[in-house]
Amino acid sequence: MAILASLWQSRLYGLEILRALAEKSQLEVAEGTLYPILSRLKSEGLLDSEWVEAEAGHPRKYYWLTAPGRRRAREMAGAWNEFSEKLSDLVQPIVGGKER
Amino acid sequence: MTTAAPVLDARIDAYLIKLQSALRGISREHQQDILREIRAHIMDSAEHSSDPAGAIDRVLRLLGTPQELAARYSTECQLQRASRSFSPLLILRTCWNWAKLGIKGTLAFFLALFGYSLALGFTVSVFLKPFMPTKIGWWSGPEGSGIIIPEHPELMHEWLGNYFVPVIAAAAFLSAIGTTHLLRWMMRRRTPGLVIATENSASPRERERHTSMQVNV
Repeated sequence: MAILASLWQSRLYGLEILRALAEKSQLEVAEGTLYPILSRLKSEGLLDSEWVEAEAGHPRKYYWLTAPGRRRAREMAGAWNEFSEKLSDLVQPIVGGKER
Repeated sequence: MTTAAPVLDARIDAYLIKLQSALRGISREHQQDILREIRAHIMDSAEHSSDPAGAIDRVLRLLGTPQELAARYSTECQLQRASRSFSPLLILRTCWNWAKLGIKGTLAFFLALFGYSLALGFTVSVFLKPFMPTKIGWWSGPEGSGIIIPEHPELMHEWLGNYFVPVIAAAAFLSAIGTTHLLRWMMRRRTPGLVIATENSASPRERERHTSMQVNV
């Protein structure tokens, strides 16, 4: 879900996805797991990709969400939101410092 | 495009050569795409750093050994193929590789082992029944119950009689097909775990083993 979410707003290449995950969610994902997952998400039709030649430097492979990918991201985000709200309710007394 | 120092390029090339030779079972076109992407990633990491050599060290460590990285790609490809296959051998082999990556894979492997062993056991008993009609059967009695070969059949009760072959053949078929469908469903529904990077561990595989920081998000 985190990878799909990182691609919600724009096309990104691998290193940008890692940075987006680290900056926005503090998820420090290992490179060795990211690329095989991107490959799988692409073969499932959730992502598409394209090699883009840079004006300076080397080509980069950019990924973006396909229509099924956007649908899946929306479903997963909804489920995550519901789950996190319930969990927040559960831990609220602890955070609020209420004793029994 | 090359990095500043030829020695760094040589290190990247050495890593990619090992990766290519470890990427067995993946089409040549996909292999080339993987190698190109990993090279681009290493070079990106080095370019954005004031210490390219240190950055390459770090990124190679985070990628894992070429064998570990290749195993991840190969297993992902195998899982894709197996999730659409009816071959018990392919599914079992895939589950074995999947088991090396986490708990879900281990569970799938044991399910595959149990389901297909059951189907194989039923099939063998169906083929043996015509040759040992008074011994092979679904028995119950002092020596236990189930498909067994009792030492004293006269003390046992045989439940299925002439229906043994069709009933057990159907059970073998259902075990095999049920196991296959269950595993294919698990493979399609799987969520890949993201391995959280930590600076003080050596490789993604090591992090999975020792820190258990694998999360599904």
